[in-house]
Amino acid sequence: MLNVDGVECRYGSLKVLDDVSLSVKEGDFVGILGPNGSGKSTLLKSISRTLKPYRGTILLNKDDIYTLKSVEVAKQMAIVPQESSIGFSFAALDVVLMGRNPHMSRFQMESGKDMAIAKKAMTMTNTWQFAERPINELSGGEKQRVIIARALAQEPKILLLDEPLTHLDIVNQLEIMDLVKDLCVKEKMIVLAVFHDLNLAARYCTSAIMLKDGKIFSAGNIADILTSENIKSVFNVYAIVKKHLVTNSVFVIPMSPHKPHLTTRCAVHLICGAGTGTALMRILLEEGYTVTAGVLNVLDTDFETAEFLKIPVTTEAPFSPITELSYKANIDMIRKASIVVLTSVPFGHGNIQNLKAAKQALDIGVPTFVIDEVPIDERDFTHGIAKALLMELKNRGASFVKSTNELLSLLSVSQEKLSQITENPKKVLNHLKPEGKHQVGTAEG
Amino acid sequence: MNEDNVETSYFRRTSRWKSSVILLIIALVATVIVSLNVGYAQISFGNILAILGKQIPFLNGFIDSSFIEPKDALIILQIRLPRIIAGVIVGSALAASGVVYQGVFKNPMADSYILGVSAGAAVGASFAILFGIGFSFLGLRFVQIAAFMGALLAIFIVYNISRVGTRVPITNLLLCGIAVNFFLYSVVALMEVIAGNELKGIVLWLMGGFSSVLWSDIWAVVPFIVFGIAVSFLYARDLNLLALGEDTAQHLGVRVERVKQVLLVLASMVTGAAVSLSGLVGFVGLMVPHITRLVIGPDHRILLPTSTIVGAIFLVICDAIARVIATPFASTLELPMGIITMFAGAPFFIILFRKKKESYSL
Repeated sequence: MLNVDGVECRYGSLKVLDDVSLSVKEGDFVGILGPNGSGKSTLLKSISRTLKPYRGTILLNKDDIYTLKSVEVAKQMAIVPQESSIGFSFAALDVVLMGRNPHMSRFQMESGKDMAIAKKAMTMTNTWQFAERPINELSGGEKQRVIIARALAQEPKILLLDEPLTHLDIVNQLEIMDLVKDLCVKEKMIVLAVFHDLNLAARYCTSAIMLKDGKIFSAGNIADILTSENIKSVFNVYAIVKKHLVTNSVFVIPMSPHKPHLTTRCAVHLICGAGTGTALMRILLEEGYTVTAGVLNVLDTDFETAEFLKIPVTTEAPFSPITELSYKANIDMIRKASIVVLTSVPFGHGNIQNLKAAKQALDIGVPTFVIDEVPIDERDFTHGIAKALLMELKNRGASFVKSTNELLSLLSVSQEKLSQITENPKKVLNHLKPEGKHQVGTAEG
Repeated sequence: MNEDNVETSYFRRTSRWKSSVILLIIALVATVIVSLNVGYAQISFGNILAILGKQIPFLNGFIDSSFIEPKDALIILQIRLPRIIAGVIVGSALAASGVVYQGVFKNPMADSYILGVSAGAAVGASFAILFGIGFSFLGLRFVQIAAFMGALLAIFIVYNISRVGTRVPITNLLLCGIAVNFFLYSVVALMEVIAGNELKGIVLWLMGGFSSVLWSDIWAVVPFIVFGIAVSFLYARDLNLLALGEDTAQHLGVRVERVKQVLLVLASMVTGAAVSLSGLVGFVGLMVPHITRLVIGPDHRILLPTSTIVGAIFLVICDAIARVIATPFASTLELPMGIITMFAGAPFFIILFRKKKESYSL
């Protein structure tokens, strides 16, 4: 049982932790989350007896850890630091055996029992095969696993991990976390871990605290903590948070930090579907374009993205062909757009109407771009109708581009990309500016 | 590597520790006896052993010493033995404190003089040579007392400048040590400049040696050195844990600040006492720990005792070489031992380093 009560920590006069309280019981796997400088590591430091709190107490089974002897604390608590530099070339086994120190008296040598415990810890962390190699010759991941084995050799009841996976590749990360989780569940170990990777936290923690500016912003069940709103307020990042169907834990997809647009650009209407428009929606929004889309079936990937990004969409019922009603609604949306972009979406009888909408867009006079990334023969499930319509679009003056990137450079997505355009860039650009639309509009009128 | 053998080979390795210490002690005794034979006056091994045996209580009755010339006994017991024992004591003191400093500082570049001990002692000794020659206290030469006091004073200054509250951060110690070293050596340089006839005395002292060591000089420092080294041995495992970093050592139950303070004070006292006896003998405190670590490994539980003995052997050999080289010139002139330690030790270290380079990492 670990009780942190009203802890305040200072570096000099700078307050880095303010009134942090938390209670952890056997078998809990608690994540400590928060951006850099929010006090995560400081909290671990004060719990691990490295930084005495200015105010507040930390109780280990009713004993204040700052009144206990360090050996007594070491028998119960092990810490895996973020990074460790080890002086002199001790063998990996030597380092793990040092974990037995709190259990040995001053003149005792390691016993067979200590060796057995060290071997078990090294076998669990998959490090026994290089037990005799000098630790400084191991790779970052191997070394960190040895350090974790050392912590386990302490036979702790509480394990503190300070971003322990920084040096590990994915397989190692999962193996180590599975191992720690297992100890937490089976041996009723208390695990307290600082995570930068919210997804790993989501997957392994039972509960979490989220720190912001040294204070607890939110605490509780991991699934309740990890919400889009919390992540936005604490990390200042938009994130998609969903429950994953395979792992049955929430997962977080952070988006690039929101940058204010210097210029507002014209409106773009996307004709897409099946995920072909997802990336484009985000990029265009980030670049300052106003984006609309349609017609999209509800539950389509692009529909979900549009909903997340709060993009106006003309929708159709799930798994249904596009009706006349939604076709017309879509045309209304197209009328308001400065340009229309048709992605490399596959066409079947259900969405062939969308191709006709693109044709109508040209008729209305809205410039239309066609991303012809995947050959039409491969995505035409209408026995040639789609192919014929696409040819017609070309004849009527739709601009065909080979890839999304080419389109983005045509839309002057960035200054660097602008310089890559060789063919008459000025003409195209004039054409795309909001004023360009007015010209088209007046000509029409 | 057969996995099942890892444990057995570990225990085999640690069980060999005792025998390697015993072997080294035998080697030390042999070195001492052989080096008693080295010098201007030719004295046979038989006579040496008889002279030594005569000094051992209970055993002396069985030894026939009638064939020994009193002059030889005097040379062995009052001239050669004191300086050899001084070599043993100073060598072990410098090597042991070198191991301690390298362990506490987690830095293989640390040596016995890192905290300004040498400079402090040099100021004290130079001062004594310059102004207080001939003065003695309780039979101790003023030079020795002044050197020891200077050494302790230097550490006191460095330690107190570095202290932040109750903690003594390693980086502070290193930087203050360097600064104080420079400052004190400038004082030594100043004294050298104003010194007239005493300049040679100062220079020779700075290079280190045992040319005029008396038994009383030795007995004065032995308690400090023996006590210091013996207590350091108790902290061997803490030194191992310090190699993992101070935070981790603390998490593993080491009272880091206390251990650090005890070890630094002891090692400095040991070094100061040794230097007061021998002058500034270089190389031993830096290289003997290195050389021993290359052969025996980094575990301080064995590194500390073996380095201590290797330091003793090394210095006895260097002193013997100093005497041999001196002989062709005159029995009165002799090479300062500090020159020998560096001249002989550095190439030896380089050879060993090149051989084991691949497994050597800092």
